[in-house]
Amino acid sequence: MLFSRRLMLGLAMAGSMASALAVPAMAEGPTEIDLFFPVPVDGKLARDMGTLIKEFNDGHPDIKATAVYTGSYDDTLIKTRASIKAGKPPSAVIMSANFLLDMQIENELTNLDGLIAADGSTKEKFLGQFFPALHGNAVIDRSVYGVPFHNSTPLLYINADKAKEAGLDPSKPPQTWAELTDWAKKLTKRDGDKVTQWGIAIPCAYDYCGWMMETLTMTNGGRYYNEEFGGEVYYDTPSMLGALTWWNDLVSKHKVHPPGATPGPAVSTSFISGNAAMMMLSTGSLTYVRENAKFNYKVAFIPRNVRNAVPIGGASLIIPAGVEADKQKAAWTLIKWMTSPEKSAWWSRATGYFAPNMAAYKTPDMVEFLNKNPDAKTAVEQLDVAKPWFATYKTVPVRKNLEDEVMLVLNGKKQPKEALVAAQKAADETLKPYNAETSLKLP
Amino acid sequence: MSLAEPATLPVATSAPPRLNILKRFTTRFRTSLPAYLLLLPSLIFLALFTYGAMGRVVIDALYQRATPKAPLRFVGLDNITAVLADPAFTGAVVNNLIYALGTAVPSIGLALLFALALARTNAVTSALRAALFLPVLIPMVAASALFLFIFLPNVGLLDYYIGRLLPVLPNWLGDPDIALYAIMIITIWKNAGYYMLFFLAGLQSVPEDVMEAAHLDGAGPFSRLRYIILPELKPTFLFVIVIATLNAVTQVDHVFVMTKGGPSNATNLVLFYIYQQAVEHYDIGMASAATLLTLAALMSLTALSFRTMAKREGGS
Repeated sequence: MLFSRRLMLGLAMAGSMASALAVPAMAEGPTEIDLFFPVPVDGKLARDMGTLIKEFNDGHPDIKATAVYTGSYDDTLIKTRASIKAGKPPSAVIMSANFLLDMQIENELTNLDGLIAADGSTKEKFLGQFFPALHGNAVIDRSVYGVPFHNSTPLLYINADKAKEAGLDPSKPPQTWAELTDWAKKLTKRDGDKVTQWGIAIPCAYDYCGWMMETLTMTNGGRYYNEEFGGEVYYDTPSMLGALTWWNDLVSKHKVHPPGATPGPAVSTSFISGNAAMMMLSTGSLTYVRENAKFNYKVAFIPRNVRNAVPIGGASLIIPAGVEADKQKAAWTLIKWMTSPEKSAWWSRATGYFAPNMAAYKTPDMVEFLNKNPDAKTAVEQLDVAKPWFATYKTVPVRKNLEDEVMLVLNGKKQPKEALVAAQKAADETLKPYNAETSLKLP
Repeated sequence: MSLAEPATLPVATSAPPRLNILKRFTTRFRTSLPAYLLLLPSLIFLALFTYGAMGRVVIDALYQRATPKAPLRFVGLDNITAVLADPAFTGAVVNNLIYALGTAVPSIGLALLFALALARTNAVTSALRAALFLPVLIPMVAASALFLFIFLPNVGLLDYYIGRLLPVLPNWLGDPDIALYAIMIITIWKNAGYYMLFFLAGLQSVPEDVMEAAHLDGAGPFSRLRYIILPELKPTFLFVIVIATLNAVTQVDHVFVMTKGGPSNATNLVLFYIYQQAVEHYDIGMASAATLLTLAALMSLTALSFRTMAKREGGS
C-alpha cells in the first residue's frame, strides 16, 4: 500500500513535470538546426568548425546552425542514435563513412534523392562533383544517403634521413611488398637480440586494425567485403591469408615490425621519435607529422603485392531520419555549402584530410598550398586506385571479429590460417540475422 | 515510516476495522503527509533517474528482435541465457574476477601498509599522505591518458627505464598476456591512496589504553598488529572490500581509453561488455540482460557484506 502510493505520487509528479517541459517552443525567426560533429584527430578541429559555422550563419540570415561537438566517430554514432530514439534528431551529422550502411539498415537515415531532385539536379550530376572512390560509401541501393565531407587513405611514411643513412634512395620509395620487406630489413637496427630501430610499424587497435587489414588485403588483390551487399565478408580467402601472413612474417620471421598490437598514436609517436623508420598511417596524420617531425620525411603509395588499391576513410554528412521538412531544407543548404569547392578546400588545409570535392583542387588557395606542401598531393593521387571502406550490417562487431584474431596472430598466439577461419566463422554468425532477412529469405 | 506509525496506532485499536478502512486510510495519510512532502523532492528524482531507469532495463531485457527489420517481441529469459552462453561475456566475467582480486588485494594491502606507516601526524607524514592521496584527485580518464604514454612500447617512460634491464621490450597494452595486468597497475596506483584514508580513520579508533597495556605486557609490534590493531580494523576492512569490489565493476574508464577491451578481449570487463552490446552491437536486449545479471551479483554481494557488518555491530 505504502509502496504503491509512493509510486503513484512519483508517477503523478513525473507526469506533471513532463507536461510542463513539453510546452511547445514557438518557431519564429530563422530555422534553428543542430550539426553533430566528431573530432577524430586533434583538438584544433573544434575551433575550425566554430569558424566555419559562424561564416555560414553570417551568410544565411534565415538559418541559425549550431555545431555540437560529439566526441569520436563512435561517440557520434551513439549520440545520434540516442537523439533519434528520443525523437529529437539533429538536422545534420558528420558521420564516419562506413556507418552509413548500418544506419540505413536500421532506418535511421534520410534518403537525399528527393532533396537533390528538388534542386533540379540529378544523382549523377550531384555525385559527379566528388571523387569516384567516395561514391561507394555514400550510395546505398542506388540512392544517395551521404555527402562526402572529409576523407583519407592510408599512406606509407618514410623517414628519409634514416633511409639515406641505410643507403636507400628516399626519392624512389618501395613500390611492392618485396621492396618494402627489403627496405624494412635494411632499416632495422639491432643491438644483440634487441631491436633499437624498427624497419616498419603498422597500427593495430580496434578500428585501425580492420582498416589496415583491408588495405593489405586490397593491395593483395582482395576485397575484404561485398561492396554490393551488407551480409558478406571475405575473411577466409587467399588474398587475406596472404596479407595477414606477410604482416605476421614482418613481425615473427623478419623481425622488422614491433610485435603485438600497437594503436595509431603509439605508431606515430614511434615514427616521430625515430624508433620506427617507416609506418603505414592515415593521411589524416599528415599535418601532425609535418608539424612534429624533426627530420626529412617522405610519403608514398601503399606498396602492392598484386595491385595498387587502398580503402578510403573519413566522414560524410548525413541527415538523420525524422527531421522536419523545414529543418531538412535548412540542413541541406548547410551540407551543400560545407561541401562546396571553397569550403571543402579550406577544411582540407586546416585538417590534413583531402577534400572530396574535385573542384576544390582547382581553387587558387589550394593550388598554392599544394605547391608549398607537395606531400599533400600523394593522398589525392592515390585516390585513383582507392575503393570504398568496408561497411556491412553491424560494421563494428563484424570488424572486431577479424581484429581480435589478427591481434592474436601479431602476438604469436595463432597461425594466420586458423585465425582467419575463426574470424570468418564469428563474422558469419554476427551477420546471420541480416542474411535471414535478405539473402536467405526465400519465396 | 517511523513518523507515521505512532499516530495510526490509536485509530486502529479504537474503531471497528471494516467500516472505518477509508477513514483509517485518510487519517493515516493525513498524518504522514508532511513526511511524504519532505521526501517528495528526492522521490521524484529517484523515480526519474534511478527506479525509472532500472524498471526500463528490466523491461528491455525481456524483448528482442529476430532480424534487423522485425518488430521487437517478448522473449522472456532468452536474452539472459544468450548472454550467459556468450563466450565474450564469460570471458569478461573471468577477466573481471581476476581484475577484482588482483586490484582489491594489493591496493588494500598497500593502503594498510601506508596507513600504519603514516599513522602519526607530523610534517613528514602529512606530506607523504598528500603525495599518496594525489592519484585519487586525478580523474581516471586523465590518468589513463598519462599512462598511455608511460606504457608506449619502445619509447614510453616505462620502456625507457625498465626496458634496458629486460631482454625483450614488452608491448604493455598490445600483448593479451600482459595488458590486463597493466590495467590493474593503474587501478592499484589510483585506489591505494583512497583506501589509505579509511584505514587512517580506522586507526584512530584503536584504543590508546589497550595499546599501552599491551606494550607494558611486552607484546611486540607484530603481536600488537595481529591481536589489537587488525581486529579493531575489521569494520574498516569490510567497508573497504565492498568499495574495492564495486570499483572493480564500475570503474572502466581506463579500459575505455587505453585498450577498448583489447587486444583480443584480454581486458574486456563486464561493464565494457555491456557498453559494447548496447553501442557496437546495438543490441539493447542483450545489454539490459547483462546489466541485470551484473546488478543482481553486485546487490547480493553488497547485501551480504553489509549484513555481516550489521551482525558484528549488533553483537558487540
